[in-house]
Amino acid sequence: MSWTQVEGLCVGYRGRRVLEDVSFALEPGGITALLGANGSGKTTLLKAMCGILPHQGVCTVAGQVLEGLSPRRLAQICGYIPQRSGIALDISLLDVVLMGFNPSLSLLQRPSRGMRRQAVDALERVGLAHRAQESYRRLSEGEKQRVILARTLVGKGSLLLLDEPESALDVHHRYQMLHLLRQWCAQGERGVLAALHDPQLALNTCHRVLVLDRGRVAAQLCPRRDSLAEMEGALEPIYGPIQLLRCASRWGSEELVMLKQREAAGWNL
Amino acid sequence: MMRRNTALLCSAAGILLAALCVLSLGTGRFPITLEGLLAGDAQQLRVFWTLRVSRTVMGAVGGICLGVCGFVYQTVFRNPLASPDVIGVSSGASAGAAAGILFLPGAAGVTLCAFGGALAAVGLALLLSALDRGGRSSTIVLAGIAVHALAQTVLMALKLSADPERQLASIEYWIMGSLNGVTLSNLGGGVSLCLVSVGVLFLLHRQILLLSAEEGEARMLGVQVTALRLVVLVAATLAVSAVVSLTGLISFVGLLAPHSARLLTGDNRMGAMTLSGLLGGALLCGADLMARSAGGGELPVSMFTSLLGAPLLVYLAVRGRDEV
Repeated sequence: MSWTQVEGLCVGYRGRRVLEDVSFALEPGGITALLGANGSGKTTLLKAMCGILPHQGVCTVAGQVLEGLSPRRLAQICGYIPQRSGIALDISLLDVVLMGFNPSLSLLQRPSRGMRRQAVDALERVGLAHRAQESYRRLSEGEKQRVILARTLVGKGSLLLLDEPESALDVHHRYQMLHLLRQWCAQGERGVLAALHDPQLALNTCHRVLVLDRGRVAAQLCPRRDSLAEMEGALEPIYGPIQLLRCASRWGSEELVMLKQREAAGWNL
Repeated sequence: MMRRNTALLCSAAGILLAALCVLSLGTGRFPITLEGLLAGDAQQLRVFWTLRVSRTVMGAVGGICLGVCGFVYQTVFRNPLASPDVIGVSSGASAGAAAGILFLPGAAGVTLCAFGGALAAVGLALLLSALDRGGRSSTIVLAGIAVHALAQTVLMALKLSADPERQLASIEYWIMGSLNGVTLSNLGGGVSLCLVSVGVLFLLHRQILLLSAEEGEARMLGVQVTALRLVVLVAATLAVSAVVSLTGLISFVGLLAPHSARLLTGDNRMGAMTLSGLLGGALLCGADLMARSAGGGELPVSMFTSLLGAPLLVYLAVRGRDEV
């Protein structure tokens, strides 16, 4: 049995099936990207896995079935970053990161000094330690995403489920976030499943790519191993005519570049 | 920057509240002097212990309670305009008090009916919201609005059947709020309930802040959202019901105190919640002082909570905006 196993996951909203019999497995030590068009079910899949949405099917992490777990126990296994955090009050960045320790604390227990130090370290890693006492609400969307990443990293979860964690980040911070996640994955039996919008980022930084199309897993790719033709064939149903190229960069690494063929606009004014 | 001197602000608010309490003890139709009390003047001592102390304690504890609960309601519902009205506390208490005035005359009967009405309204709102298995806070707000409308209908029906000379006037006066009816004999239960509930809310402060995140997000931070929200709302509702059943409706304190505290401290930590309580206490004590000094007789306290509170809130909001 794989480290993380999703079997026969089905989710529907008001009679409409959004996910249909989704099954896949993840191994620890890497980032798996979830790619798909708008409405393909990426967010639904992540929310179902972490129990926010009612669903059929079974999700297992390290032999532990997630269905039926208490929120506290679930949060000790899985960390989750929503598309946007709903915190709408003036709470300092440090306090937002300290929320990540909640699954390890009892109801009335307060975060320890050691936890505060770890929270500051996590803010340091996302480049926001100097603003630890500022209000979260007043940050830009990209900065908020970095704070929520810091909050997720201080948690004890071994599987992180991230819903477009890079959507508001600039290119520099996107790569930095993925680098940080790769470092995190390398520290023990840990893994990340991240819904991403940028296929090029996914192909160059993630170990595996799950392609979701109309609520089903259409393909599972391994960018370092699969041929360009195989990957183009898997991605074209989502993005239309594309071409993938392997390019050698000036600094010696090999990068995948995705070119998109211009098409007649599908939308009209 | 968020970190301001919250301790200093709380100290200042505490001193203001203490000063208002001292003033409140000495203010009223019957003159009381320190010399008279120390000399053991029987009448002065009786007025002091039975009327002034109870009224002052109710003003301070009731205001603290409304300030803290307002802070909690706004955090839990993630809505800066949330107040006990959101889930029907005030309207339920009004309908209950009106029923008490009509069918169970006497101060104790009215207090009990108001308390029962407030709890029944909130119970019904929570019961209706339980129909939504998702347990969303927006469903509780909608259920609260429905219960509020229902309680208003009951209140109207009771008013229509009330004797216009005495009963209708009593209902209207109760709705306007006053600390006039608070005595030492009916104070104990209400104040104890307030103190226990507020204590529980302070103990749960860290969890209450977690409820300010979206429901799915809070759940993934390990929070039992539905159960915790229920505990917090029940504690806040018990406290507010205990206050309004003794004083009648008191407007604006639960809305103004939390806003002022947040604008002054710039955050939502425990210090801001404490400051919200202290400001609520000071506002209610100050308003009660004015209610018994401004006119020849006893005026409704809500007139003065609004009169004092509205300009202060506008000033703080404008000042806060300038600082951004």
